[in-house]
Amino acid sequence: MLKSADDGTLTAQSQPGGGLERWVERHLRYVMLAPTVLILLALTIFPSLYMFYAAVHRISPNPDLPWEFVGLGNFARLLSDAQFHVALRNTVVFTVVAVTVEFLLGLGLALLLDKFIRRLSFLKTVLMIPMMLPPIAVAITWKLIYEPQFGVLNEIMYRLGLPLQAWAGDVNLAMFSIIVADVWQWTPFIFLLMLAGLASLPVEPYEAAALDGASSWRQFWDLTLPFLKPVIAIALLLRVMDALRLFDLVFILTGGGPADRTKVLSLYIYQVAYRFADPGYAAAISLFVLFVTIVFSTWFMKRMRLAD
Amino acid sequence: MVRKLFLTLAAAASALAISGAAWADITVLVPSGSEGDGLRAAAADYAKMKGTKVETVQAPYANVFEQGANAGATKSGVFDIILMDDPWIPFFAENGHLEDLTPYFKNAGLEGPDNDFLSKSLAICRNPYNSGPYVCLPYVGNAQMFFYDAAKYKEAGVDAPKTWDDVLKASKKLTEDGGGRYFGYVFRGGQGNPVVADFMPIFWSYGADLFNADRSKVTIDTPEGAAAMKMFMALRDVSPKGVESYNANEVGTALAAGTSASSINWPNWVATFEDPSQSKMVGKISYTAIPAGTKPGSSEIGHWTMGIMSASKNKQEAFDFMLWATSPEQIKISAERGNPPVRTSVFTDPELTKQEKFRHYPVLMEAIQASTPRPRHPKWPEIENAFGIELSKAVAGTITPEEALKNAQAAVEQITGLK
Repeated sequence: MLKSADDGTLTAQSQPGGGLERWVERHLRYVMLAPTVLILLALTIFPSLYMFYAAVHRISPNPDLPWEFVGLGNFARLLSDAQFHVALRNTVVFTVVAVTVEFLLGLGLALLLDKFIRRLSFLKTVLMIPMMLPPIAVAITWKLIYEPQFGVLNEIMYRLGLPLQAWAGDVNLAMFSIIVADVWQWTPFIFLLMLAGLASLPVEPYEAAALDGASSWRQFWDLTLPFLKPVIAIALLLRVMDALRLFDLVFILTGGGPADRTKVLSLYIYQVAYRFADPGYAAAISLFVLFVTIVFSTWFMKRMRLAD
Repeated sequence: MVRKLFLTLAAAASALAISGAAWADITVLVPSGSEGDGLRAAAADYAKMKGTKVETVQAPYANVFEQGANAGATKSGVFDIILMDDPWIPFFAENGHLEDLTPYFKNAGLEGPDNDFLSKSLAICRNPYNSGPYVCLPYVGNAQMFFYDAAKYKEAGVDAPKTWDDVLKASKKLTEDGGGRYFGYVFRGGQGNPVVADFMPIFWSYGADLFNADRSKVTIDTPEGAAAMKMFMALRDVSPKGVESYNANEVGTALAAGTSASSINWPNWVATFEDPSQSKMVGKISYTAIPAGTKPGSSEIGHWTMGIMSASKNKQEAFDFMLWATSPEQIKISAERGNPPVRTSVFTDPELTKQEKFRHYPVLMEAIQASTPRPRHPKWPEIENAFGIELSKAVAGTITPEEALKNAQAAVEQITGLK
C-alpha cells in the first residue's frame, strides 16, 4: 500500500500477510518503471528489431511465399543503386543548404528583434504561424504559389516584366523552391530558440566589454556566440535530424522530379516499400538513414562538448 | 512467429484505421475522384435496394495501390473489393491477392461476363491478358483521347489533326503567337506515371513498344523509339514552361482555362470541360482519336476494374455486388454520373448520345477498341518509375533523348532480368 510521508513523497507501508503486496513493495521501482519500459519496447525496440530482421530478407508481396534470407544483400544493393545515390546526394544538399539558411536567418532575426520583441510580442505569434501549420498544408500553399500559369509568384514576375519561371518544374529551380518553402516554415523554429537563448544571457559581461570599448561585432563574436553555443547546438541538431527526414514538401511539390532532382531518401524509401513492394530493401535504406543520423548526432554532440 | 505477430499487428492496425467500415457487409477500396464517387453512389443505391451495407473507403490514386497491396500481403481481409487501375492487375493477380472469378460465374449459371461488354474492356480483366481466367470486372471505361480547341487549330491552318505532324504544325503556330501566355500543346510531364502515360500513345504510334511480342526482350532503344522521342521533344518545345512537373490537374486546368489548345487526356475530364462553373471552354473542345505517327494512333487503356480480394470473408456477397454494379442498367447510371461506360449498349444508348455532354462517346468507344494496354508485368510500377525518370530527364533537358532511351532500356532490362 502506498502512503504519503511527511515530506510529501510516496512510501510503501508494509502489511502483514499479502504476498503480492510484499513483492510489489520489494520491487516498487521496477513496477513503476514497467509501463514506460513496455511502451518503449512495443513502440521503439520491437519495430527497430523487426526492421533489422526485415532488412536481411527479401520479402515477396505474395504472402504465401516465405521470406528469403539474404544476409547483407540488401545493404550491398545500396552500393550499386543509382537511384539511392541520387536520393542521398539530394538529401545532403537539401539538409546543408536549408539548415544553414534557416540558422543564419533565424539568428539574424532573433538578434534584430531581441530588443524590440517585448514591445512587438505579436511578431512572435506571427512568426510562429508557419511552424504551427501542418506540413501538408504548407506544401499545398507553396504548390499554389509556384504554379507556373496561375501562381502568385509568376503573376508578380509577369507584372514586373520578368520572365516566368517553372519554379517547382525547372531542373535548376526545383530544389531551390523546396528549400525556400522549408526555410519559410522552419526559420521561426530557430528564431524562437535563439530568442530564448538571447533572453537568458547574463548582462555583466556585456557591461564590462562596453567599458573596455569592445565593438558590437566584437561583443557578438566573443560573448553572444559562445554563450549561445549550447542553444545553437540543439537547434542545429534538431533541424538536421528533421531535414534528413524531409518528405511532405517533396511529395506534394515535385514528387521527386523533375529528372530526379528533388528525390530525397524518405521519398525513395516510401517508393521502394509501397510502390515497388520491396519492404526488405526499404528497411535496409531506413537503417542506413538511422545509422547516418546517429553517427552525425554523436559526432556533433561530442564536438560541441569538446569545444567547450 | 515474429512474422506472424507482425502481420497480425499490421492487420489489426489496418482494421482499426478503417474501423468505420467494420460494420459493413462489404467493404470496397476505391480511388478519389469521379470513379470512386460513382461507385460510392452505386453502393448507396445497392444498400437501399438489396439491404446489403456496402462501405466504400476512398483514397488518392497511389494510396489505393498501396492499401490494396498491404491488405493483400497481410491477408487482412479488410477490403472485400478493390477498384483497380488496370495496369495493377498483374501485380495483384500474380501475388495471390485476387480471387479467380470462374467459380462465381458458374454458381451464378453464367459462362462469364456477357458480350455487351467491349472486348478490349474484358481482355484486360483476364490474367494473363486476354487468355487467363477473369480476376475482375470492368467498371469505368477510360481510354485516352485527343482533346483540342478546333477553332484555334483552324486558325493555325489545321482542320482536324490526323497525325502528330498536324498537331505539331498547329501547336507551333499557336505557341509562337501566344506570347508566352498561350500554348498549342500541353502534357503531363511529371516524373513517373504522368509522363509515361502521355508518352506511350506517341511511342506506340511510331511502332515502338517496351517489349517484343513474346515479352522476351526489352525494345525501348530502337529506331522507332527514337522517332517517337523526337516528336515528343518537339511537342515539349511548344508546351508551357514547367510542363516537366505537370500532372492531370495542371493539364486539365490549362485546357479548361483556355491557355493551351490541345493535349492527350482521359474521358473523365470531359465533364469538367463541359461544366460552366469549372471551364471557360464549354462546347469548344473537340475530341478525336489519338493521332497517327508512322503507324495508326493507339490510346492507352486505363480502365478501373473491380476485383475480389483473396482474403475477403464475404466473397459471394462481393461478387453479387460486382455483377449488379456492372449490369447495363447500373453502367448507364454510372455514365450519367460522369464515368465512361464499358458496355456497347450504353455507348450507343440514344438517351445518352443525344445529349451534348456525351458527344464524345463514339470517339471514346472507338478509342477503347483501338487501345493498347500498358505492358502486363507484375513489376509494372517499378518499370514505369524507371522509364518515367528517364523521360522526365529528357523533358527537362538534363540528358539527350538518345541517352534517355539507352538508360531506360538498361533500367528496364535490370528490373525484368531480360537481356
